[in-house]
Amino acid sequence: MNFKMDEKIISKEDLLKICQDVIAKGHTLLTPGMNEYFPVKDISQINLNSSALPAKTSYKSYVFPRSEPVLYYKRSKDDVQLIDVNVDGKNIIILGAKPCDTNSISIMRHLFNWDYSDEFFNLREKHFIIIGLMCSHYDEYCFCTSVGSSPVSDKGSDIFLIPLDENNFALRIITEKGKEFIEPYAEYLKPGDETRSKQVTENVKLPEVVFDSKEVYEWLGENFESPKWEGIGNLCLSCAQCAFVCPVCHCFDIVDEDYSYSEGRRMKNWDGCQFGNFTLHASGHNPRDIQSKRYRQRVNHKFRYYVDKFGEILCTGCGRCSRGCPVSIDIKEIVSNCKESV
Amino acid sequence: MEELREYAKELLEKKEVAAVIGYTQVSENRTKPIIITDPADASKLVFNEYCLNNLSVYLTKARINAMCRTKDKIMKLAICAKPCDVHSIVALIQENQVHRNDIVIISFNCHGAVKDFGYEFSGENLASKCITCETHKPLYFDKIFGEEKETPKASDAALARIEELESMTHEERFEYFNNEFDKCIKCYACRAVCPLCYCQRCITDKAIPRWIESSSHQRGNFSWNIVRAFHLSARCTGCGECDRACPMDIPLSLINRRMAMEAKKSFSYVSGRSLETPTLVGSFNEKDSDELFM
Amino acid sequence: MDKEKWEPKIVAFVCNWCTYTGADLAGTSRMKYPANAKMIRVMCSGSIDPVFIIKAFERGADGVLVSGCHPNDCHYNAGNFHARRRWDFFHELLDFIGIEKERLQFSWISASEGKKFADVIAKVTKDIKTLGPFTAYKKMNSEFTAVFPEIQEVVKETIIKEKETV
Repeated sequence: MNFKMDEKIISKEDLLKICQDVIAKGHTLLTPGMNEYFPVKDISQINLNSSALPAKTSYKSYVFPRSEPVLYYKRSKDDVQLIDVNVDGKNIIILGAKPCDTNSISIMRHLFNWDYSDEFFNLREKHFIIIGLMCSHYDEYCFCTSVGSSPVSDKGSDIFLIPLDENNFALRIITEKGKEFIEPYAEYLKPGDETRSKQVTENVKLPEVVFDSKEVYEWLGENFESPKWEGIGNLCLSCAQCAFVCPVCHCFDIVDEDYSYSEGRRMKNWDGCQFGNFTLHASGHNPRDIQSKRYRQRVNHKFRYYVDKFGEILCTGCGRCSRGCPVSIDIKEIVSNCKESV
Repeated sequence: MEELREYAKELLEKKEVAAVIGYTQVSENRTKPIIITDPADASKLVFNEYCLNNLSVYLTKARINAMCRTKDKIMKLAICAKPCDVHSIVALIQENQVHRNDIVIISFNCHGAVKDFGYEFSGENLASKCITCETHKPLYFDKIFGEEKETPKASDAALARIEELESMTHEERFEYFNNEFDKCIKCYACRAVCPLCYCQRCITDKAIPRWIESSSHQRGNFSWNIVRAFHLSARCTGCGECDRACPMDIPLSLINRRMAMEAKKSFSYVSGRSLETPTLVGSFNEKDSDELFM
Repeated sequence: MDKEKWEPKIVAFVCNWCTYTGADLAGTSRMKYPANAKMIRVMCSGSIDPVFIIKAFERGADGVLVSGCHPNDCHYNAGNFHARRRWDFFHELLDFIGIEKERLQFSWISASEGKKFADVIAKVTKDIKTLGPFTAYKKMNSEFTAVFPEIQEVVKETIIKEKETV
């Protein structure tokens, strides 16, 4: 997939013209607002602002919906008929995705193609075109640099934009998919100059690196029974806000839902590891019966288990979970202070 | 502030309380809850306009209560509570979830709080509950700190919104709420932060029969939000934590407030104001109106 | 849908001791009343959880009736008193959310009021008929009806069959 980096310059006006065309073609164009990535109806809604905080939720739900049917069933006297679900492979173009979001799908991809390949995820992902936008603002909760990413990272993007000045963007074509997308619009592209974009990216203020993920990995392995977990468990209220706003949390639950006596569907719903009944067995036994064990699982899964399995940290450093936590539990703080005594 | 810290330290040193649940500063205008068991940590306590959490939610948590029971002694629990949080504590006592003698209420003279973290304290950014607040001094407390100050003035936008909604037709209202509930992702943060949602097992956790669908499609969201609002009607003390916790900004407390208005209008009852009276929905009066019934 | 021919689906939650017996009386006295109400017998009007009613709406009810013993007549002394307060709030809540008050109705019917039972069912049916089908709530099931178009047909057929039997 590694394509030779190709850099062009595009004006904001022309970029919006492309957006107009994309919408006219009937594709979905998502762009980040204050709270969420929303489908653009009119190009005046597009605000290519590199100095905004990440939206409250990521675009995860467009590739892994919070609730989706996986099959329908119909029961007759002595037969069950299964009806497949057709996933519509609509093209989704995400414009102005933050570098901490562009990363997310490539991280989740491992899981959805691990012991079986999830058709729903793969089909949707195939129709995704991610246009990333450099980020020039961070707050006290951002920590992308600590998990190996950065505000100027183009990892996961198909096309990456760097604002050069008010009206011009440097446009990097990263993948084959991105090239295919931009090819029909070649007339808008002017030859680029890498030194100029480099100047911009080098001047971006980076959030401080607050922890070393390798050290955290080691610490987690040795401190499964640390009293630290208890302190966090006492404060955490067991909601799943952190998991549901996370761009890479991917746990789900399968439930059957009936419509009438004979018809129903099987649903795949988001689930969160902080819920008490997430690990509740049918026998009544619950291996993670108290909150401290559940929070330990969350941190371990992100910084240890996922690394063991797929070699990547299950975190993009966007800080959404901490920003929105009702009791202000900050995962960055917990991980970076892990070595301090209780 | 120093007095508060001294008092907390004293309580912990004398082993009168097992823990002090309070606030600690995170950054300039953000605080977070802290559970202090070591007297040396008492210096971390703060109280100011940025103390938003309603800490009474911790009173019903088994793991917090377990701290109070040591081998030879059963200790109390001290809790920092704004006057409005005291209403929640009163409601919990009314509903027999907490014993008045088991807790030490450390309260404050309050002049309002900000609507959310990240805002400067001013009339414009005043939390909606503070606009109509009548209890700047707590109704029940064991110790009180802080001086009385004027609350900034602001207009009651929530009430105006309720009135606006009431003037709509049923179809319009249904559509409005359906669209709002459709945003719900079922993270249950509203349930988790609510001091009065203390059920060990929520109705949504029951799988057989599954009354409330766990899926977060329109139908499941609608059911969940109606049930949540109903279970809190005439009980909600209006602390507004659900609004603050909701990552999708669903106007949950708007519905709660409308129900509280109904309790006041039909039964002259305001939740969490008196330890002497029974709860409204937990009791009955033979003389209640029969208007509803054919 | 032809509004003239359309018959509403009504779910009636009735208490075992009074209203259900009252319905029995209506039946044994051969009183005529619309066949739209599907009765669900519960032990007391105080034992009806509001989720029952939400479930009824979810499954396509156009209206719900809740009926129990008259005040002071409750078999369990105070069940209906507790229910009365609760229903007041639930009714207000549904109204505020945008569900017309007529969709959920309440009554006290004693075991000896067979006539009243027939009248109440007739009134509720008439009210719901004027309101029309509860399409707003049914829209939430549109995904199902798209996959199972025959569901609509089945529902129609049963209504016609029921009509014939009446």
